[in-house]
Amino acid sequence: MTSHIPLIEESFKWPAKFNEVPKEIFEKPELWQRELETIFYGEEWHPIAHRSEIPNPGDYKAGFVGEMPVFSVHGEDGEIRVFHNSCAHRGATLVTDSAGCKKEFECPYHRWLFNPQGELVGCPNSKEFSPSFDKAKFGLQALRTEEFCGLYFVTMSDKTLPLNEYFDQGFLEPLSRILGSDGRLKCVGYQKVYYDCNWKAYCDNDGYHAPLLHLAFKLLNWQGGKGTQHITENGHMAFQSELKVPDQVSALNDDSIVKFKGRDTSTGSLVLSAFPLTIFSKHLDMLNIRYAYPKGPRGIEVHYTYFTHEDDDEEMIRHRIRQSSNLLGPSGLVSLEDAAIFSRIDLGNRSPGNAIFQKGVKDEFSLSFDVGQNDESGNLPRWEHYRKVMGFEREKA
Amino acid sequence: MSAIDTETVLKIEQLNRSYVRALDGKDMQGWLATFDSTGSYICISEENERRGFPIAYMLDDCYARLQDRILQVEEIQDDSIEHYQPRHFTQFIDAEALGGGRYRAETNFSVNYTPADTGRMAILATGRYIDEVLINGEAKYIQRKAVVDTNVLPRYIAYPI
Repeated sequence: MTSHIPLIEESFKWPAKFNEVPKEIFEKPELWQRELETIFYGEEWHPIAHRSEIPNPGDYKAGFVGEMPVFSVHGEDGEIRVFHNSCAHRGATLVTDSAGCKKEFECPYHRWLFNPQGELVGCPNSKEFSPSFDKAKFGLQALRTEEFCGLYFVTMSDKTLPLNEYFDQGFLEPLSRILGSDGRLKCVGYQKVYYDCNWKAYCDNDGYHAPLLHLAFKLLNWQGGKGTQHITENGHMAFQSELKVPDQVSALNDDSIVKFKGRDTSTGSLVLSAFPLTIFSKHLDMLNIRYAYPKGPRGIEVHYTYFTHEDDDEEMIRHRIRQSSNLLGPSGLVSLEDAAIFSRIDLGNRSPGNAIFQKGVKDEFSLSFDVGQNDESGNLPRWEHYRKVMGFEREKA
Repeated sequence: MSAIDTETVLKIEQLNRSYVRALDGKDMQGWLATFDSTGSYICISEENERRGFPIAYMLDDCYARLQDRILQVEEIQDDSIEHYQPRHFTQFIDAEALGGGRYRAETNFSVNYTPADTGRMAILATGRYIDEVLINGEAKYIQRKAVVDTNVLPRYIAYPI
C-alpha cells in the first residue's frame, strides 16, 4: 500500500549502517498514519483472542486493530469470529465493555439486533427501508481470521500470507508450547497498563539487556543458561533459553515463587516477539500473551493475559497464578524495570541522531540472522522489515 | 453489615492511617508492621475481581511474600525505575464483625502520585480496600485486598497501594 501523506522523505534517509535506527522515527507523530496504513491495516496478522478467553457461546472480547475497534465473539455454532465493532446501519459501536456474554448484540441507536454469528436478526420499521434493503446483506463485517492452537489472528489485507507461512516453524513450534502445545488453556486474568511511549519503543527490547537491567536475574542466579534467537525476515523473533533453576534461592524468604514445576528445562524459557508488537512468553510456569494496542503515535496499552492448562491440578493452578501475578507483569519482580525503560528511551529518543545497536553486530553494512542469545542484533531484521514496509530509502554506504 | 462499636471502628481506622502513613513515607517496614504474621496483601483489578479471575498486580499471599515485597521495592527495582511520591486518600465505609476478634472492613481509596522526573501530579488509581482485620489488643491486617477500579493503570505501580 502506498501512503498519500506527505512525509519527510526529502530530508529523511534511513542510515546506511544496518545497526543504526533514526531516533526520530519514535517521535514523529506524522508517521503514525502511514504505520496504520502499511502495518496495522497492511499485510500483517494480529492476535485478538484465545478461545479460552471467550469459552462459551455468546462470550465476547473487545480489542483494536490499529485504531479500528473490533470484537471477537463465540458463536452459538461454536465458531469464533472477529467483527468490526460497528453497527451495520450507521456505524455505532456494539460492544462498549472489554468483555462479557450476550445472546444478542443490540445497537441502542435504532435497536438493530445481531446474533453472535453476526447476522442481522432485527431492525425496526424495515418495511419503510430503501427498495434495495436486504436483511441478509446487513450482517456485521467480519475480518479475515485464522486460528493457531486456539489463538485467533486477524488481518486487514486479503494479500497477507496464510498464517503458517507468515510465521515459520521456528516461530510456530515455540508458540505452540506457550499455548500449552494443544491450545487447551484456561484464561485466569489480565494485568492492563498504559505505557507512555511510542509503540516501537515498547517492542524494541533485546537479548542484551536481560541479565544487565534486571537485578533479579543475578539475585535468582538465573544467568548462564544456554539459548538461541530465531529471527525471520518479516520481523518475528523467538528466544529460547535453557531454564536455570537453582534448588534454593536464599535471597528470597519465599522461593516457591520462582520454582519450576513443569518438565523440560532445556528450552523452558520462551519469549516470542511477533511483528508488529505482540509478545508471547513462557517462563518458569507462566503462560502469557501480551496484547498491545497503540493509542496513536504516543502511548500504548498492554494487556498481559495469563493462562493455566486444562490438565493442571489445583497445586499447579495456584502456582501459576502466584508466579504470573508477581514475576513478569508490569509490577513484576523480574520485569518491572522494562516498563521504566520504555518511557526512558522514548523520552531520550527526542534527542538528535541514531539509536545504535552494538552487541552481536559483526558487519554494520549487512543484515545477519546469526544471532547469539544475548545479542541485540536480533532486533535489526525487524527494523529492516519496518523500513521496507514504510518505504524509507536507505542511504548509500 | 452489623453495627460495631465506635472503639473498634477507631482501631480499624487507626490501622489504615498507619498503613497509609507508611506507604506515603516509603516506610516498607512500617507497611509490613500493619500485617499480622498470617497476613496477606493483594492488589487486583476490579475487572479480574468481578469476573472471578485470580490474577493480581501483586499477590503476596503469605508473610514471607510480604517480606519479599520489601526486598523488591528497596533493593531490586530501586536503581532503575521512575520513582514517584504516592499520596493516599481514604474513606472508611463500613465494617462488620466476623467473630473471634475478626472484622471485615471496607475503605475507599484514591492514590495521587507525583513522579520524581516530571513533578506533575496525577491520579494513579482509585478503588476500595476489602480488609480482614484482627483486633487482639492492637489491630492488624489478616488480609488487605486493594481492588482497583482503574482497570488500565496509567503506569506500572512500583509500590503497594
